[in-house]
Amino acid sequence: METPFSTGGFGSQETYAASAQRFFELLRGFGAAAPAGAGSARDWSQLSGPLAAQFEHWLRLSQSAGPWFGSPLSAGMGPGAAGAAGWSFGPLPVGAAAVERPEAQRVWELLTRLAQLQSRLAVYWGEVARVAAQRFVARAGAPPAAPSAEESLRLYQQWVECAEEAYAETARSEDFARLQSELANVSAALLVEQRRHAESLVRAFGLPTRSEVDSLYARLKELDRRLNELAERATGATPARAKPAGAKRRARAASRPRRGR
Amino acid sequence: MQHLDSGSGFAELGLRVAETLARLQSARHVTVGCSAKRAVLQLGKTTLYQYLPLSATPAAARPLLICFALVNRPYVLDLQPDRSLIRRLLEAGLAVYLIDWGEPEDADRHTELADYIEDQLGGCVRHVLQAHGSESLDLLGVCQGGVLALCYAALHAAQVARLITLTTPVDFHTPENLLSRWVRGVDTELLAACGNVPGELLNALFLALRPLRLTQEKYVRLLTSRPDQRAVEDFVRMERWIFDSPPQAASALAQFVRWFYQDNALMRGGLRLRGRAVELRHITQPLLNLYALDDHIVPASACAALRGRTGSSDYSECALRTGHIGMYVSRAGREQVPQRIVSWLGARAAARS
Repeated sequence: METPFSTGGFGSQETYAASAQRFFELLRGFGAAAPAGAGSARDWSQLSGPLAAQFEHWLRLSQSAGPWFGSPLSAGMGPGAAGAAGWSFGPLPVGAAAVERPEAQRVWELLTRLAQLQSRLAVYWGEVARVAAQRFVARAGAPPAAPSAEESLRLYQQWVECAEEAYAETARSEDFARLQSELANVSAALLVEQRRHAESLVRAFGLPTRSEVDSLYARLKELDRRLNELAERATGATPARAKPAGAKRRARAASRPRRGR
Repeated sequence: MQHLDSGSGFAELGLRVAETLARLQSARHVTVGCSAKRAVLQLGKTTLYQYLPLSATPAAARPLLICFALVNRPYVLDLQPDRSLIRRLLEAGLAVYLIDWGEPEDADRHTELADYIEDQLGGCVRHVLQAHGSESLDLLGVCQGGVLALCYAALHAAQVARLITLTTPVDFHTPENLLSRWVRGVDTELLAACGNVPGELLNALFLALRPLRLTQEKYVRLLTSRPDQRAVEDFVRMERWIFDSPPQAASALAQFVRWFYQDNALMRGGLRLRGRAVELRHITQPLLNLYALDDHIVPASACAALRGRTGSSDYSECALRTGHIGMYVSRAGREQVPQRIVSWLGARAAARS
């Protein structure tokens, strides 16, 4: 099942192919901005809009929920997907189901909040793309008549520099940083709610839940720790973490293999 | 290739791309790791490896234990024969050990930083000491592993004769630290409650620091630079390492974010591990601090902050003009990092004798 944690991220192969495609789209753009002939009035400013649009589109696709989590909306959890497989909001509010379920309300609030944050993020991407394109147009100089391979690569590098600069300026702002943290928190909260929902289903079938396993694991860990302490005391060695290091004999005693965790 | 429909520039670039694509296909099955090693200790998911010496190691050689980061695989230190810090150290006659933290499972979600530092790093240290009949070893901490090494050296000073940090953040709140800004407001309790964090997520986070350069431009550069087969294979090995990240134990990651990225505990103090205070001033060993000037993940300022913060009277540092990963694989890193480590260790060994 896909979760907010199962981020699409940057798959190497897909990224590679996409970068090549975008590169050639950019080169086409550079070519289109070049003057068609003597006296032509075409210049880089014609490229500004398409360049910004392409960059904004890419930012939206690759950074839809920030780097933190794959968008829960894409995991069948969006408002429009309520009731989709794996994320049911339950029956209609009639009969016993009319009793209020705070968890459903909580999920709805989180999804709403996530949508708001993503909208704010989209505004940032628009701004980054606009600034990047403007900066490129200002720096690129007069477009060459027919860009050579080297000239095309130079323009591409210049575009990357402008885009990264614009991105970094935004990414370093306090407001953007707060937005990133909030995106992480809301996505994490959604994941917790999703798991709570899954646990209630599992419990209905009499199966052990994650919470129960965690509880058992914590007890095992504590027992393991106590056992190690007792074993060390029984052999006369000071427990490792309190041992004043340096004595070879003690170091040897403390280095006995421990139980696996 | 349907994009290449006009212009001589396009045609030439198209040829370059076609050549590189063919080479990439051939490079699909490159291998990583080149130096012979054997597992000598298993502690939970953590494996301690001993690298087999290339020649007879001098009997008096003090072992060197490498503590790598939790967030990446350590094979970047031994990627291929000409890109291997470990091989250079072996060639210098050092007895090299490496900690591989392995891959946490869901059951490891409650593993804490104290477990990693005291039980697993500590267990490896104790094992190496016993194996060499030595009272102390040299400890090399890499990136996040350097933070763990600093904590361990502060708590167990007598077990660590000399400490080396490589691209290790100390001050997490320097202005250049974008990652730190982004995670400052993250709810770490909520993060821990989510369970182990997939490596892909952390990768996405690192790539988002410079998205266009790291997910677009570097591929375009490869495609259009007419790399030979060897260069393409080198590139693929790095790609494999970059995208091959282990999941992170939930509790440990949440603690790392809270203690270091948010509280900046190494600088501000107040960090305690199992009841014991971790203070940089308790580090009195000779200390070599290596870092990169163009590091976008661990800014140079974050590493340089170690200067003057410890109790060591023998502090050296070396900053190279390269990036984070460049410290391990760039020409500057390959040539200078091992050489600096070996000569620094050698000078202190000579002084000792």
